[in-house]
Amino acid sequence: MPNKLKLVLAGLAVALVAMLPAAASAQTVDEIIARGKLIVAVDTTTPPYGFLDADLKPTGFDIEVATKMGEALGVPVEFVTVTSPGRIPSLLTKQVDVVISIFSITAARAIQIDYSIPYAGQSAVVIAPKSTAISSHADLVGKKVGLTRGTGEDGLLTAAAEANPGIEILRFDDYSSLLQAMVSGQIDAMGGGDYGEIYLKKAQNGDDFEQKYVLKTFYFGIGVAKGNDNLRQWLNTWLFTLKMDGTLEALSMKYRNQPLPALPVF
Amino acid sequence: MQTALQFGPVFIHLDTLLMGVVQTIQLAVLSILFGTVIGTLGAIGRSFGPRWVSWPIAAYVELIRNTPLLIQLYFVFFSLPMLGLKLSSNSAAILALSIHLGAYATEILRAGVESVPVGQIEAAKSLGLKGYHIIRHVILVPAVRAVYPALSAQFILQLMGTSIVGAIAAEELTAIANNLVMQTFRSFEVYIVIAVIYFVLVQAASLIFAGLSRLLFRWKT
Repeated sequence: MPNKLKLVLAGLAVALVAMLPAAASAQTVDEIIARGKLIVAVDTTTPPYGFLDADLKPTGFDIEVATKMGEALGVPVEFVTVTSPGRIPSLLTKQVDVVISIFSITAARAIQIDYSIPYAGQSAVVIAPKSTAISSHADLVGKKVGLTRGTGEDGLLTAAAEANPGIEILRFDDYSSLLQAMVSGQIDAMGGGDYGEIYLKKAQNGDDFEQKYVLKTFYFGIGVAKGNDNLRQWLNTWLFTLKMDGTLEALSMKYRNQPLPALPVF
Repeated sequence: MQTALQFGPVFIHLDTLLMGVVQTIQLAVLSILFGTVIGTLGAIGRSFGPRWVSWPIAAYVELIRNTPLLIQLYFVFFSLPMLGLKLSSNSAAILALSIHLGAYATEILRAGVESVPVGQIEAAKSLGLKGYHIIRHVILVPAVRAVYPALSAQFILQLMGTSIVGAIAAEELTAIANNLVMQTFRSFEVYIVIAVIYFVLVQAASLIFAGLSRLLFRWKT
């Protein structure tokens, strides 16, 4: 009897372990194909890269890159939604194979995760109502400047606020809250992507806003778990082909309404 | 996991986190004070007021208790400006949290008020106590004592509920922790540290509420 009980318990333990979401651990390309699906972290609150269409299905620049990656590997794509602070943890905890979510390449992040070569890029700009005269950091003194927590704009504008006392920074958790704050007048200016205006234009008073000045140009890479060179090397090769056949440029025109900046490699 | 836990980069920013603790306590204390005032008035109005007082209070309670706090925050911060009321992030957070707690406190205190036997009120009247004294000594104090455990549990929920006001860019412990995560990229360490801080805060609050209960309700029933 005790032996049977042990057997049952062992069976239960195996079943429990099998149920754990451990399936996504350190993937090689072969393992992803063998598993039959690609798990991608995306953010659906960052138009035009990731957002929900009229049917509430994820779409956007990043989503299409993810779909094409699945096609190239011949497996369906499973989307896991993350917010920008959740991107690195999703790789560290091996919940996803790759992060395709306007993941700017920075040296600090590369301590914890690895990046592919850039597949897209955009400039961070300051956007404000046309009626407000802003052309440099100094003009932001005494104003409320909104941004999305943890984005590139956060670092740039936080540094600007330290150098120019009097700039009040308001950090929002996602881009839609930030846009909402801009439209409702809760902030005087916002840091955002160079495409940001397109989305503000959908608001009632959207035409009142314009780009003021460029903060910095960022390059987006696909994030993979630290040390996963097998997958990263495949990604680099695949992105090279997408770049050369004009796919990336076409996506940029489709979603950003402007060409990509030049994409250097490393 | 390949990355070992490193608390060093987090502890460098301990002063920033402590500022967050202060802001969290401020949010909690102010919203609990305002919320309790709203709740007390609400409970009295709903139990003893005429219909034109008790019905709007009932509507307020139902509206707030049947919608998420996050939506209430968004409404106060993003929608009220369209109606002409523009509040800063922190004021909006305090307002939304107070209105939120007010609804729950109204219901909890109303239960307490209704637990006071009618005979007790009649006894007070026949002893010649005035209305205000009846409400305060004969109704409110026994009512609060009856529901004190539920009320203090709600206060503790409120303390933890402050952690979502970062959504409207208000600064408090969780928002500051999220900033730190982005600066240090030490998400596990930061969240472990703030979980410990919240635990200590809640334990401290529990002790304070237990102490208050001894101080306020010393007599025997």
